[in-house]
Amino acid sequence: MRFQILLTLRSLAANKLRFLLTTFSVVLGVSFVVSSFVLTDGLLKTFDNIVEDANAEVDAEVRASSEFAEVEFTYRPFDESLFETVAAVDGVDEAVPGLTSAKIVPVKGDGDPVQTTGAPILSFNWTSGSLSALTLVEGEAPDGPGEFAIDETTADRDNFVVGQTYDIIAAGGREAFTLVGITRFGEENALAGAVLSSFTLEELQRLDDSEGLLSFIDVSAAPDVDPTVLLDRLTAAIPSDLEAISGDELVEEAQDDFGEIIGIFGNILLAFAIVAVFVSTFIISNTFNILLGQRVRQLALLRALGASSRQIRFNTLLESLIVGLVASIVGLGGGVLLAYGLRALMDSVGFSLPSIELIIAPRTIIAALVVGVGVTMLASLSPAKRAATVPPVAAMRGGFRFGSGEGTRRTIIAIILSVLGVVSMGYGLFGGADNTALLMATLGLGAVLVFVAVSMFSPLFSTPSAKFLGAPLEYLPGGASITGHMARSNAARNNKRTASTAAGLMIGLSLIAMATVVATSLKDSFRAELGSTLAGDYLISEETGPGFSNQLAARVDALPEFETVSAVRYGTIRVDGDEKGVAATDVTVLTELLEVGVLAGDPVASAGTDYVLLTQDAADDHGVVVGDELEVEFAATGKQVLTVGAVYENEFLIGHYIIDLSGWDANFAAGNDNVISAKTAPGVDAAAAEAALAPLEETFPQLVFETRAEFSERVEGQLDSLLVVINVFLGLAIIISLLGIANTMALSVLERTQEIGLMRAIGMTRRQTRSMIRLEAGVVSLFGALLGVLVGLVFGWVAVIAIPESIIDRLSIPAGTLAVYVVIATIAGLLAASMPARRASKLNILEAIAQL
Amino acid sequence: MNKPSMRKVGMVTTETSEPSALATAAPDIQIMAATAVGLRKIYGEGETEVRALDGVDVGFEAGKLTAIMGPSGSGKSTLLHCMAGLDDITDGSVRAGDTLISDMSDQDLTLLRRETMGFIFQAFNLVPTLTAEENILLPLLLGGNRPDEEWENTVVQSLGLGERLHHRPDELSGGQQQRVAVARALVTQPNVIFADEPTGNLDSKSGNEVLGFLRRAVDDWQQTVVMVTHDPLAASYADLVIFLRDGQVVGELRDPTADQVHDRIRALEA
Repeated sequence: MRFQILLTLRSLAANKLRFLLTTFSVVLGVSFVVSSFVLTDGLLKTFDNIVEDANAEVDAEVRASSEFAEVEFTYRPFDESLFETVAAVDGVDEAVPGLTSAKIVPVKGDGDPVQTTGAPILSFNWTSGSLSALTLVEGEAPDGPGEFAIDETTADRDNFVVGQTYDIIAAGGREAFTLVGITRFGEENALAGAVLSSFTLEELQRLDDSEGLLSFIDVSAAPDVDPTVLLDRLTAAIPSDLEAISGDELVEEAQDDFGEIIGIFGNILLAFAIVAVFVSTFIISNTFNILLGQRVRQLALLRALGASSRQIRFNTLLESLIVGLVASIVGLGGGVLLAYGLRALMDSVGFSLPSIELIIAPRTIIAALVVGVGVTMLASLSPAKRAATVPPVAAMRGGFRFGSGEGTRRTIIAIILSVLGVVSMGYGLFGGADNTALLMATLGLGAVLVFVAVSMFSPLFSTPSAKFLGAPLEYLPGGASITGHMARSNAARNNKRTASTAAGLMIGLSLIAMATVVATSLKDSFRAELGSTLAGDYLISEETGPGFSNQLAARVDALPEFETVSAVRYGTIRVDGDEKGVAATDVTVLTELLEVGVLAGDPVASAGTDYVLLTQDAADDHGVVVGDELEVEFAATGKQVLTVGAVYENEFLIGHYIIDLSGWDANFAAGNDNVISAKTAPGVDAAAAEAALAPLEETFPQLVFETRAEFSERVEGQLDSLLVVINVFLGLAIIISLLGIANTMALSVLERTQEIGLMRAIGMTRRQTRSMIRLEAGVVSLFGALLGVLVGLVFGWVAVIAIPESIIDRLSIPAGTLAVYVVIATIAGLLAASMPARRASKLNILEAIAQL
Repeated sequence: MNKPSMRKVGMVTTETSEPSALATAAPDIQIMAATAVGLRKIYGEGETEVRALDGVDVGFEAGKLTAIMGPSGSGKSTLLHCMAGLDDITDGSVRAGDTLISDMSDQDLTLLRRETMGFIFQAFNLVPTLTAEENILLPLLLGGNRPDEEWENTVVQSLGLGERLHHRPDELSGGQQQRVAVARALVTQPNVIFADEPTGNLDSKSGNEVLGFLRRAVDDWQQTVVMVTHDPLAASYADLVIFLRDGQVVGELRDPTADQVHDRIRALEA
C-alpha cells in the first residue's frame, strides 16, 4: 500500500507537465463554482450589514400594508396628518416622517440626466438624527426650497459639485436646484449603482406631486418601553390599511429582498459554473485515457513483476484522487480570486457593489472537494478499469493497444441515455414541470444525458467526419498539401480521441447555438408581432424606472399632430389567489392603438372603474365570459368585484388583464405612466410629428421617444446584449474545451515524437511541423463545432416549440451567425494547438527518432 | 530555386545504360559528396565530458558506397549525424558538396536535407499514417515538388514494391518497410544517401537484399551512399570502409572483403 502510493507520487512527479495540464481544467471548473458561492455569500453578508446599519435605531415603521410579494422601493403614500397621531402614541421616543420618490431625476452639469445600469433613481426627504440612514459627508443638509443633496458615489461619478446649480426633472418638468450637500448611505454608500438625492420633505412632496402625503414613519421607542408593546400600541392607533412593523422585521424584509436578488444572480453564475465543470469532466477523462495508452509498457512491467490488476486499478484511481485533491485546493483559492475579480469587474461597469466580506462557508469547501475530486474520479473510472486489463506480456512485446471493444454495448448505452435525455427534457418542457426549479432540473438532466449520449455515439462517425472535413487540406498549395494530408489523417487516426476532444467544444457550442437560435426566433417573432399588432406610430417610455409623470400624456394629446394618445400603466393584481400583471389604459381608444383582437364584448363600453378585460386564455382559466363577474384584489383597495367587459386574443405588449385608467386611479396609490402610445393625425408626416414632440423630449430627457421601428430596434438590441452576456459566460466552456484541445494535442505530439523526428530528418521544416499540428487541431475543432451547432439547433428547435406561441411563434435559424461561430471555434482550436505545435517543431530530431 | 534533384534526372535517365562521363572521371578528380575538417563533437562538461568525435578529417567520395565502422561508442553514428546536419558540432567544419553546413540555420538545413540528402534509419523509417507510395514521395511532397514519374517507376520496380504501393507500413514486412525507405532515399536523386545501420533490424536475407539495392544505386545510378554498420558482411558491399575508434579515424580499407573487415574490427576492439 505504501509502496503503491509512492509509485503513484513518483509517476505524477515524473510527468509534471501532463499533471499540470490535467489539473488545470478541473481547477477552472472548481474556481467558477467556488467564486459563485464566495461572491453570493459575501454580498449577502455585506448587504445584511448595510440593511442592519441603516435601520439600527428604528424600532418600528408605519407604512401602507402590502399584500404583494414583489420587491418594492416605494410604498403607497398616506396622509401626513397621521404623523401627529403616531408621534403622540405613548412610548414613542422619536418619530420621523419619510417619503420616497422614484419620479425625480437629477440632471448632470452637462445637461444629461443621471443614468444607472438598471438600479433605481430614488429621492428621500432629508432627516437628521439617529433614525436616518443618511449622513452628511460634505456641505449642508437641504433646508429649504431649491436645495438638494446627492449621494457621494453619484457625485464622484457625475461630477456634482456643492454650491453649483443643477436641473431636477420631476413630475412638473425641469427646475433649477442648488446642490448643498453630499450624503452617504450607511457606512459605505454601497447602493449597487442606485442614485440617491434628498430634499426637504415639503420640496419632495411638491416635486413628487404628493402634497400632504408620506410613505412611511420611522419610530424609536422610549428607553423604558418594550418595542413589542410599542408595536401593539401603534397598530391600535393607525387605520387598518396601514401597518406597523418592528425594526427587526423591517431589516429581515429588506434582507430577504436583497437575498432573493443575490440568490438569482448566484444561481445564474452557478449554472454557468456547472457547464464548465461538465466540459472539464470530458477533458480529464480524455487525458487519462491518452496517458493510459502511453503507459501501457509501464503498467505491463508492473503486472509482470507481480502487481495484481486490482492494484493497477487502485494506482490509477489513487492518481486521479491526488489530481482531484490538488485541483480542488487550487480551485478554492482561484475561486476566491475570481470572486473578487468579478466584483471589481461589476464595480468598474457602474454596478457599484460594496467591498465584500470574505466568507468561505463549509458548503463552499465541500462543493470544491465534491466537484474537484468527484469529477476527476468519475472521469478516471473507465480508464482505471481498462488499465487493469493490460496483460503482463505487453511489457516485453510492444504494440499492445486497448481494444475499442464493447462497441455494441456502448451503442446500446448511448441509445438508452439519449432516450432518457429526450424524455427528461420533454417532461420538463411539455408536461409536468410546474415550477422553475423542476423545469431547470429536468432540462439540465436531459441536456447532460444527451451530451453524454452524443459523445458516446460520435466515435462511430468521427473518423469519416474528420476525413471529410479535412478533405480541402489535400488541396493546399505546394508543400502544404502533404502537411494538410498528414493533419487530416492524424485527425482521423483515433476515432475515440477525436470524438472526446471534440466533445468539449460540442457542448459549449451547442449551448451557444441554442441561445442564439432562441434569441433570433424571439426577435423575429417580436418584430412580426409588433408589425401586425402595434397601430400607434410613436411610443414614449423609459429604459428603466418606476414610471413617469401622468401629465405628459395630456400634453402629447394636446398636440394637433396627434390624433389618438393613451398612457399605459403596468401593475400587479391578484386573481384567484395568484399574482398577475395588469395593464391600465384608456380602453376607449385601445383598439386604435393596439390590435388586441377583440373576440367578444366591447372595450369602448368597458370604460370606468367597474370593468376588466381578459384574454381568452385568462377567461378560460377563470371560467368566465363577457358579462360575468370576476373578483380582483388590489394592493391598495383590496378585493373588488369587476365585470368582464371584453375578451381579446392577443396579449402582446399589454398582457392578459386590462383595466381602464379610471379603474387604476381608483385602485392604485400611485398614478405613474409607464408607456405612452400615440398615433399621428392624418396627413402629418414623421418630420412634423417629431418636430412637435421635440420640446417635450427636452423637458423629459429621461424618457425615450421613438417610432415603432425604433422601438423594435431597441428591444432587439436589448435581446442582442442579453445574448452577448450569455454567450460570454458560455465562452468559459469554450475556453476550457480549448484547453482540452491543447492538452490532447500536446499528448499526441508526445506519442508521435518518433514520427515527427523522422519527418523532420527527411525534410519537414519547423513551419510545416507547426502547421501540421495546428491543422489537425483545426479539423478536430471543426468537427466538434459542427456537431455542437447541430445539437444546438435541435435544442433550440425544441425550446422554440416549448415556449408559448405568444412569445415565440417561429423558428429562425441565423445561419450566418452560426457559421461565424463555427469558423471562430475552428480558428480558436487551431490557435489552441500553438503551444504543442511549437513543442513539436522544436523537438531534437535525433532524440526524437531514438525514442523507445 | 536551384533544384539539384531535377537537374540530375536527365543525366540519370540517359545514362543508365552506360557509365557516365562523370562516374568514370570521379576517381581521378576525387569529387567529394561530403567532407569534414577538424570535426569535434563533445557532450557534457568537466567530469562528465565525452568526446564523441575528436578531430575527424574525412571525405566521402561521390559515386561510391562508403561504410563507417568501429566498435560501440567509437562515434560512427555521431559522425553520420553531423555529416547529415542532424546534429550540431562543437568544432571544425562540415560541407555537403561545396556548401558549408556547420553554421546553417535550421530552415536552410532542413531544405538542404530535403533536396540533396536521402535517409535510411535502422528502425521506424516510415510514417504510419501514410501509404508506402506517400512515404516514398514524402520528401518531394514536403517541397511541393512533382515526382518524376518515370524515375519513380524505375525505383519502385527495381525494389519490387509495385504491388505494395498502397499498403500502409503496418501491412508491410520489415524487409519491405526498409525497401520503401530505400526508395524514399532514392526518389529525390540526392547528392548523398545516409544510411544508419540500415540492416540492423532485418533478417540476413532481407538485409542482403537491401544492401544489394544500395550497391545497385551506386553502380547503376551513380548515387553516393554513406552507411554506418557494425556488420562486416554489410561493410563488404562498400567501396571503402572507414574505421573509427574513440572519435578518431584510425584507418581505411578499399574494396574490402568481409574477412578483412572482421580482422580489422577485432584488432580495433582488442
